[in-house]
Amino acid sequence: MLRLLATIKKELLVLLRDRGGLAILFVMPIVMIALMALIQDAPFRDYQELKIPLLLVNNDTGVLGETLEDGLKKSKIFVINELSIPESEAKGYIAKSKYEIGIVIPVNASDSFKANVAKFVAHKMGSEDSLGKGLPYTPNRDLYINVYFAPGTKKSFKASIMSSLRQFSSKLSTFTMLDMFIKELGVTQDSADKNKDVMSDFVSFSERDAIESERENFSLNSVQHNVPAWTIFGMFFIVLSMAGSLIKERDDGSYLRLRTMPGSYTTVMAGKITAYLVICLIQCVLMLMVGIYLMPLLGLPKLVIGTNIAAIALIAISCGLAATGSGILVGTIFNTHQQATTFGAVSIVILAALGGIWVPVYIMPDSIRFLAEISPLYWALSAFHEIFISYGTVGSVFPYALKLLLFFVATVGISHVINTTKSYR
Amino acid sequence: METRESIKVENLIKIYKGSTAPAVNSISFSVDKGSIFGLLGPNGAGKTTTISILCGLIKPTSGTVHIHGLSLEKKAGEIKKIIGVVPQEIALYPTLTAYENLQYIGNMYGLKGDVLKEKIRHYLDIFGLEKNAKKRVETYSGGMKRRLNLIAGIMHEPKILFLDEPTVGIDVQSRTVITEFLHKMNKQGTTIIYTSHLMEEAENLCSHIAIIDEGHIKISGTPENLIREHSVENIEKLFLKLTGKKLRD
Repeated sequence: MLRLLATIKKELLVLLRDRGGLAILFVMPIVMIALMALIQDAPFRDYQELKIPLLLVNNDTGVLGETLEDGLKKSKIFVINELSIPESEAKGYIAKSKYEIGIVIPVNASDSFKANVAKFVAHKMGSEDSLGKGLPYTPNRDLYINVYFAPGTKKSFKASIMSSLRQFSSKLSTFTMLDMFIKELGVTQDSADKNKDVMSDFVSFSERDAIESERENFSLNSVQHNVPAWTIFGMFFIVLSMAGSLIKERDDGSYLRLRTMPGSYTTVMAGKITAYLVICLIQCVLMLMVGIYLMPLLGLPKLVIGTNIAAIALIAISCGLAATGSGILVGTIFNTHQQATTFGAVSIVILAALGGIWVPVYIMPDSIRFLAEISPLYWALSAFHEIFISYGTVGSVFPYALKLLLFFVATVGISHVINTTKSYR
Repeated sequence: METRESIKVENLIKIYKGSTAPAVNSISFSVDKGSIFGLLGPNGAGKTTTISILCGLIKPTSGTVHIHGLSLEKKAGEIKKIIGVVPQEIALYPTLTAYENLQYIGNMYGLKGDVLKEKIRHYLDIFGLEKNAKKRVETYSGGMKRRLNLIAGIMHEPKILFLDEPTVGIDVQSRTVITEFLHKMNKQGTTIIYTSHLMEEAENLCSHIAIIDEGHIKISGTPENLIREHSVENIEKLFLKLTGKKLRD
């Protein structure tokens, strides 16, 4: 135990006096968290929170323009600016991305709309008469409501907006037709209004969250993604310090001295692992505090970590061990500090990219997404998302912890075999 | 059973993986308890391989080693408790102070509390480092580092001390302090195994010398006997006579 404690103390002292190493381990992740959370805040909001600026030019004075305007306002996803300007000017605003969407309702659109519906009703009513002949139905094809999109608008977003507008138009047509049929049939207006209410209830849609909880539900925002992501990245950067420490000990003869001392070298390694794990855990706590306290000061949402501290601790420890295991492996395989730091840094960046640290895995192409599964950073990030967003428990994140722990065992085991082979040539 | 020999090496062979020529080729020698044994040889002669085997750092291909009557193969753990090693490199942590370095190494040998504190104070005093005990090793001069490197290998007071060029690259003052202390330690019963390229120092320090080259021990004996038997002025002349003037890699 004395040897173990002495090694832990020595390693911590060496680490604390390495200012460059400390900057990499603590300052770099804080900077990355703040920077990436700020940069990615808007893209995350685009999909989840942001209200879309919309320019409405309503040249119609009838029911169509009025109803469409009401519908857009009720949707609550648009910030509507209504202007009475020529269509060419409106188009210019959209082209300059001053607004995301522009809708231009032409003059007398309601009249054209009603005329079309009336023709259709007359045609249908006529087809049911005793002669079996109705008036011919030829809709007025001149009625267009132009919808302009800003340059660079995603196709999926365009499709979603157009689908909503068509659905709205369809519903309005149906109600108008119903009105006309009712008038033709001589039904009272009260009864007609009741029928409209019933129609809208044929099918009901209810918006629910997949995870139901008494707590406030929230989506994956920039902070919820970037804080755990860069915390894990920072923890894995301990590979550089760990590998550097092992190579330095080999270079300066300390490793040989340690191996001539009584007791197992495993105790020395256990001391090293414990010291570096402590640093990883301090990193983790510090970064989560940055998410909770610093992010709101930058105008970003506060990090929500839930209440399952045991699950967080399990993943933090597992992730820290996986990181130190990587450091031992890199420090064992490579003979020079330069080789180890170059490979260590590059490999972490690659594993981070694959693991969804830079951008979430779900927006990656399918051809790359499956590669995330090989990254220990992805396992850790998935576990943190599970805890923070889906209210995961120790049980639900245990598979991730197990993967990380197996990774640690594998890296340390391989290092041991290589080390033994090297030492006893 | 108590033996006269501190170290007994028989038919020791070491062939490294990927190499056909043995680094150490069937050497046998013994080191008496309380002696200072100098293992001398040019670069690549097999000195470091031999010392590394004796310290338990590498395994021999064949042959046997007994240290204080204990088989190195079977009792390596026991043997590590009674040996001390001073490597040629400054095997210290530069960002730690001298005190912190010695505290760590002492702990690794099982020393702690007041006993450890007293030993650290004692040795720092002997080697003139007490005033700089709280300074980081990276601020030390070459001589100070060498002296501290020696303390790290002896503070647990080993029965056998392995020294690999302990005075290389330091001033005369530091060298004198170190060699005087080694003499004193030896008189108190410590067996010392020493390698060096400094022939004069070896001649003055060692009670017994072996010259090794190309994995073979060419000759061994007391410096006085070797000089007399080979009719040379000193050990350096004998060394050149036996190993030649050809440059080694």
